[in-house]
Amino acid sequence: MVLTEETAKPAVAFGGKYRIIDFPLSNCVNSGIDTVGILTQYQPLELNAYVGTGRPWGLNRNFGGAHILPPYAKSNKSEWYKGTANAVYQNIPFIENYAPEYVLILSGDHIYKMDYSKMLDYHKKKGSDCTIAVLEVPLSEASRFGIMNTNEDGSIFEFEEKPKHPKSTKASMGIYIFSWSVLREYLMRDEEDPTSSNDFGKNVIPALLADGKQVFAYPFEGYWKDVGTIQSLWEANMDLLDPKSGLNLRDQKHKIYARNYAQPSSYIANGSTIKNSYVAEGCTVRGYVENSIISTACVIEEGVTVLNSVIMPNTTVKKGSTVKFAILGENATVGRNVHIGGEKEYYAEDAWGIAVIGKGKEIPDNATVAPGEII
Amino acid sequence: MNLAGIIFSNLYDERFGVLTHKRTVASLPFGGRYRFVDFVLSNMSNSGITSVGIITKHNYNSLMDHLGSSAEWDLNRKNGGVHLLAPFSTGMSYVYQGKLEALYSAFAFLEKTPEDYVVLSDSTILCNIDYGEALEEHIASGKDVTVIAKRAAKNPNVNYELIVDMAKDGTVTDVTVDYPAMRDGAMVSMGMYIMEKKLLLSAVKESVCKGRHLLERDFIQEGFYHNGLTLNVHEFTKHVIRNDSVASYFANNLALIRDEALRRDLFDRSRPIYTKVRDEVPSYYSEHSSTKDCLVADGCRIHGDLEGSVLFRDVYVGSGTVIKNSIIMQGTVIGKGCHIENAILDKNVTVSDGVRLIGAPSAPCIVEKGESV
Repeated sequence: MVLTEETAKPAVAFGGKYRIIDFPLSNCVNSGIDTVGILTQYQPLELNAYVGTGRPWGLNRNFGGAHILPPYAKSNKSEWYKGTANAVYQNIPFIENYAPEYVLILSGDHIYKMDYSKMLDYHKKKGSDCTIAVLEVPLSEASRFGIMNTNEDGSIFEFEEKPKHPKSTKASMGIYIFSWSVLREYLMRDEEDPTSSNDFGKNVIPALLADGKQVFAYPFEGYWKDVGTIQSLWEANMDLLDPKSGLNLRDQKHKIYARNYAQPSSYIANGSTIKNSYVAEGCTVRGYVENSIISTACVIEEGVTVLNSVIMPNTTVKKGSTVKFAILGENATVGRNVHIGGEKEYYAEDAWGIAVIGKGKEIPDNATVAPGEII
Repeated sequence: MNLAGIIFSNLYDERFGVLTHKRTVASLPFGGRYRFVDFVLSNMSNSGITSVGIITKHNYNSLMDHLGSSAEWDLNRKNGGVHLLAPFSTGMSYVYQGKLEALYSAFAFLEKTPEDYVVLSDSTILCNIDYGEALEEHIASGKDVTVIAKRAAKNPNVNYELIVDMAKDGTVTDVTVDYPAMRDGAMVSMGMYIMEKKLLLSAVKESVCKGRHLLERDFIQEGFYHNGLTLNVHEFTKHVIRNDSVASYFANNLALIRDEALRRDLFDRSRPIYTKVRDEVPSYYSEHSSTKDCLVADGCRIHGDLEGSVLFRDVYVGSGTVIKNSIIMQGTVIGKGCHIENAILDKNVTVSDGVRLIGAPSAPCIVEKGESV
């Protein structure tokens, strides 16, 4: 994905003032978790700078707090993270430091709000070794997910990764709670198996199931979206504007926290129109904005039309340009009279898509960027 | 930075009427998401000052709440940081009357800080200034006190605390207190002074003995005329916002909307103004809303028609409501079909459907913090 060329996916901007990682981090904090390790392999610089001491999330703690954990050189061997399970394996010393009873494993590119403490209660109540959060998905879409086949008591007897003929509609959300002693044992065993791809979904969970360990599905209800693709990232942003989507960031009891960049209030000029849109702070809006997300410190000049689009932080769209069904990356500059993207109905099904302008790109005056084009 | 900062938070409380009933003047909201104190504190932080004392008198709950650990201003330091200085009292419930006397409560703080120089600042005058530059100039001048000043237009209606007249070579020839600017280009003090800490401490000690309270009259003017105190003037050329009454406070907020150059100056991106983070969502503008010429902070939900107004964080505006030339503070909820013009609605005000609140530009209609209309 072009937006992440220089940015680790969790650091991608979302919803006007957030980064994707704000969601799992805020969920942790709102669930009473105060020790978080962030496993990152690629471009840790930006994520490091963003998370910092963890203060924006209240994770600047004397004991615990937020830690960025990139792969590091050890005395006898050094290697990259080979898979999700291997990444945790390599950080067993970090986890042991805190001697936890339970470990929660999350993915960094999902948008959702969840109280993990309820899931932990469920895990304890069931006497589970591993609990996997699942979401009911329509049967027609079930073959896109990892599907959990469960018994009546919620225990999982089978896990199928993207099954052609799904037997259930319980999709794994990539959220696992393990009893640490069990996880530790299986990470060690997984590491010894040279044929393993060291992945939680592919290797660790099936191994637990094969041994007859107690693996339970925890049913989650509410908004959840994997934003690993351009289309889904755009959709999740648009879901903010749809009161029926179930994605509500306004809930005072479960706020999403983000690093703040000390921007002044936004200036909304005379002659501007803003309809069904979010505008973050530090912006200047002089154009027409509809069904869009305008992120922190953007400039939308006179005569600009922004429709059904996501404008990421610090981006400028100059006079007379139109931006439709597009994502403009951070720090981009769109020149005058540029046309980016377009409405679906004017294009053939396979010729349409979300247009994307990458981070820091400059689009010269009078240029045209077709729908689905990625620059 | 060999400079400590002192901020006066309670002076002029009485000039802002009901707006300062429940807060210090330093915690008066300004410009959509700030408090007065944010500007001076950010200036100090951006200038590299790490020891700041804030002198308080009463009603400083809201100030303490706002400052928290001072981490937002990067002033949560191992050495130095922000110190809230409550009035020094010896059993009698007597509080200070002027800046000089108020400084007595900063005595211990100042003695302890390792910095040799100190900058004093009011909290009502807002600007984006580099105190480092002013300190360099002060040291190079070899004078006792540097007055940071800005030229003002002739205006017989406003009394300034301190005006300095200078000869062509910059030598100070005259010092006037509590008097209007009688000519264009008069050098008016911005309530900011730099001097050696030693000098300030001795002045405070002496003035307390002699029953003097006023920094400008009893120390600077008196010193200049009778005690050989030498003055340097640091002319500040960028925008300055002086808030000395409800009317000027109201006008200054609205000027921030209209004057783009002022905004650029005040919110210089390389020297940001910091404030308390509230983790609000971005502001939402509904299908049928209209917003013209407004400053809007985060967390607002706008369904009505806004014009020429400042909206602080987390304001709700119902559909069909018209708001013109007004300041709507944090957390205020305005129902449907209201008409609000030339008004200041303080924090957490509730306005029911269909209410009309109309003031005059020179005398805005004010609704106090937490009230319902």
